[in-house]
Amino acid sequence: MKTIITGALVAATVTFTACNNSNNNAHDAHQHDTAAMAMKQGSSPADHSIAQVKPQFTNVDANVMASLTPVFGHYLHLKNSLAADNSAEAAGSGKAMEIALEKVDKAAMTPEQQKEYHENEDDLKEHAEHIGRNEGNIAHQREHFAQMSEDVYALVKAFGGKQTLYHDYCPMYNDNKGALWLSETKDIQNPYMGSKMPACGSVKEMIQ
Amino acid sequence: MTRIILFLLLIIIVAIQFFQPEKNENGGRKSPDEITGLYTIPANVQTILKQACYDCHSNNTRYPWYAGIQPVGWLMAAHIREGKKELNFDEYGAYSSKRQRNKMKRMKEQVTAGKMPLSSYTLIHADARLTTGQKELIANWIDSTL
Repeated sequence: MKTIITGALVAATVTFTACNNSNNNAHDAHQHDTAAMAMKQGSSPADHSIAQVKPQFTNVDANVMASLTPVFGHYLHLKNSLAADNSAEAAGSGKAMEIALEKVDKAAMTPEQQKEYHENEDDLKEHAEHIGRNEGNIAHQREHFAQMSEDVYALVKAFGGKQTLYHDYCPMYNDNKGALWLSETKDIQNPYMGSKMPACGSVKEMIQ
Repeated sequence: MTRIILFLLLIIIVAIQFFQPEKNENGGRKSPDEITGLYTIPANVQTILKQACYDCHSNNTRYPWYAGIQPVGWLMAAHIREGKKELNFDEYGAYSSKRQRNKMKRMKEQVTAGKMPLSSYTLIHADARLTTGQKELIANWIDSTL
């Protein structure tokens, strides 16, 4: 009996490790393919070419802003975790963001603000949840991060990000379909390509 | 020793049959938020969606006979719960307009990439295996709505 249990455990461990390996390899291969093209993308453009954007709502209630700030904070933490290829930390940020989203103060929003928030709310929750439970599968976390970034970008453009945020763009992600992200620093730290090409991408806008 | 274990196993298998999960069936009742109320869906596309997607992505599942056997039924219920959370054609009208567009785009990606329907589902449901032509029909329909 003991042998059977041990045997089953060994088999399970082997299968699990094998799965993990194949995932990593596939991911590495993908990054390798695109690595050559990274050389074309230079560093961030000069300041004068960055468009400056003001948030749409000028009358955001302090409580609303205070409840949105942790959401943006976890997003930036998530972005930095992905740029550092840290799937576990990314998952942690996703979970934290899920909790922060539950606490967003919708009651203090104007009807117009509520509408804008509602447009993005469920999508954001879904992406945060998926990122949170996909520790070990950073490629999948990045897929959701790309879509989440669209929603966070919409919210920051509407409500403001509390701090100056940069709208960055990576033209190569997802088979050259490209994806945006938001960053608190002007220097590019690509969350889609990670350490393979951390400086790939360009600054599009500065939102403040 | 082996005998006792086998006997206990048998008891467990019999016992779990008494715990049937609630079925995902709407008895033909229409939902006000059905996707058909939002977009014009050509009949051939509608057929594909019903055959390949609706079992996990609507409020009505066509259950096979073995769904009554546990733990198969439990696994199925979990899958359906998960599937409906991601996308529910019967609740589509309740999504925000941005989410509706996003879901459409993702549907196209998933179907074109062959990630959906899940291979564990098409293994048994042969009619849910999409041909290249069927995938194109879905993609073209989605393009026409966006």
